[in-house]
Amino acid sequence: MSNEKYQAISTAVTEGEDIQTGNLVKAALDAGLPPLEILQQGVVAGITKAGELWKTNQYFLPDVILSADAFKVGMEVLEPQLKNSQAGQSRGKYVIGVVEGDMHDLGKSLVVALLTSAGFEVIDLGIDVPKDKFIDTIKTHHPAVVGLGAYMSTTMLQMKEIITELEKQGLRKGLKIMVGGVPTSQEFSDEVGADAWGKDALDAMQKALQLVEVK
Amino acid sequence: MSAQPEMPVDPGLARFLGVMMHQPVDRVPFLGPQSHDHCMTVAKVPARKYYWDAELLVDVHIAVQRWYGFDTVMAAGDIYNFEVEALGGKMIYSDNAMPTVDTNNPLIKSSADLDRLGTLDPSKERIPMGVKLGKLLLQKAPGPFAGGVFCSPFSFLCQAMGYPKALHAIKREKVYAQELFDFAENQAIFPYLKAMSDNGVKNAIGPDAWSAFPNLTPELIEEWVVPSARRLGERAKNELGMTAGAGLAASDYCEEDVSKFDKAIMFKCWETGMKINPAFVFGFMGRTQDWDMNWLQEFATTHGANGLKQPLYLGINGRFIRDSSPEQVVSLLRRWIDILARDGGLLISIANVPSDTSSLSIHTALKAVHELGRYPIAKDLSSIKVEPPQFKPFDEWLKDQPEADIIFKAREK
Repeated sequence: MSNEKYQAISTAVTEGEDIQTGNLVKAALDAGLPPLEILQQGVVAGITKAGELWKTNQYFLPDVILSADAFKVGMEVLEPQLKNSQAGQSRGKYVIGVVEGDMHDLGKSLVVALLTSAGFEVIDLGIDVPKDKFIDTIKTHHPAVVGLGAYMSTTMLQMKEIITELEKQGLRKGLKIMVGGVPTSQEFSDEVGADAWGKDALDAMQKALQLVEVK
Repeated sequence: MSAQPEMPVDPGLARFLGVMMHQPVDRVPFLGPQSHDHCMTVAKVPARKYYWDAELLVDVHIAVQRWYGFDTVMAAGDIYNFEVEALGGKMIYSDNAMPTVDTNNPLIKSSADLDRLGTLDPSKERIPMGVKLGKLLLQKAPGPFAGGVFCSPFSFLCQAMGYPKALHAIKREKVYAQELFDFAENQAIFPYLKAMSDNGVKNAIGPDAWSAFPNLTPELIEEWVVPSARRLGERAKNELGMTAGAGLAASDYCEEDVSKFDKAIMFKCWETGMKINPAFVFGFMGRTQDWDMNWLQEFATTHGANGLKQPLYLGINGRFIRDSSPEQVVSLLRRWIDILARDGGLLISIANVPSDTSSLSIHTALKAVHELGRYPIAKDLSSIKVEPPQFKPFDEWLKDQPEADIIFKAREK
């Protein structure tokens, strides 16, 4: 019975049915199913399946966006119940934000959804984030990884400044840095001294997992 | 004997037209690219002047693109923002980058906003600048992309409400999506086109990068973007007597993951793209450096009208040209010309040049096309060595140019 419920949630997330996902998660909680199981076997299984379909050209960005929306709705219902049961399950903290002057958050939203599904505790600073806010958050939260996003070839140049500042303040030790966004590339990532470049949301999640595993 | 078509004096424009009309040309044309941030950086002019002053923006583009030696000029600012900004959308302005829409505060949150927003007032914000930009381009740099530039309907919706919401509407709320397209076409874009038309700008293009693949699938483009572009084009033609080509770059194959490249999907994208822009196959913003150009050649030779090859408008990826060595740039162009240019029908450009692209790379690309792309194309292109380009630094070169005064003056605080 519980398997059927998890499967239904998973399918709703994969198919991007946001309202249905919310209702199904609520119903599963009302039925007394463990929040962590709903998360892993329902919501996360659904977004993971969407990612797999995306990788094999069976899903395209519109499908993944709708899946991510459904994932978000499911998480909103689940999150209050997960606070306690998830303790000790995190793969580490991941601070993410789009650099100052840049308001594009599509890619970041997808990355946040997938990182959360992979078990990271994501601290999302949003868009148009000043350098000092990145630095202060890193000082406060000591994340395993920080992800810097940019959409414009002018704003992406700030990534180098942020990385330089982190090095200057001695905050780079034990901290992995990822960069991503439309104008970025592996070459750019190497040039600014990042540890990894996220080509797309799925790639960013996989690289983040690799970064925390090698620590 | 039939009369020869009258060719324009400008040799760059003649090359472009020659390719489009399947006429012999002396070499592969290299068209001016979208390069607003890069031109601003080369010309060292402040963003807060450059993106507000049509004359400065046009002159900077003309000067920088002439310095490089492009065959035609492409000049446009942050054209995806103009309509949203004029309707009251919140913007972020910066000292060294183009204005950008504040997506934290979207212009359209729900259907009720459409009534509240009403019709775009063409005297507001930078719409007059956009109109002036079109006029200046027609006067100073006539060419394939001279004229007005507007933001196409789906891209407008993405700017006004965010891509996920716009997408959600077309996938899940079709009635609302129709309302949105109706608003975009008739309340936001058409008044801008009318302002252009009233000022003598009788042709305009509407870039639509948000409708590129995989942002939208060919099926979604056929369902929403193609009919919308046709509606807008028809209305502009019937009521304003002007040409408005919406949907430029819609269906451009922009898959980033090389392992996912799929010939059938590529062909479908190009076929869909030709329903909007039948003049050429548009392969532009994606990872063109990794494409199998034999696929593109096969498509062009099997999809042209009257048995002729369909002209190809091919862009060097902006990140590729920024991140590659001059040797890599030459090697790419050698391969492209070898496969795609022998039977004509090839137009080359660069897709949105990043601000920090080395000028050496761009000069190298131009030199490579000028030397390798000369007709008849050499049998063995590998035997032609492209020597590093020699060029004056921009500021030194600029001193003798008609744009010198306006650019040097713009640098003053």
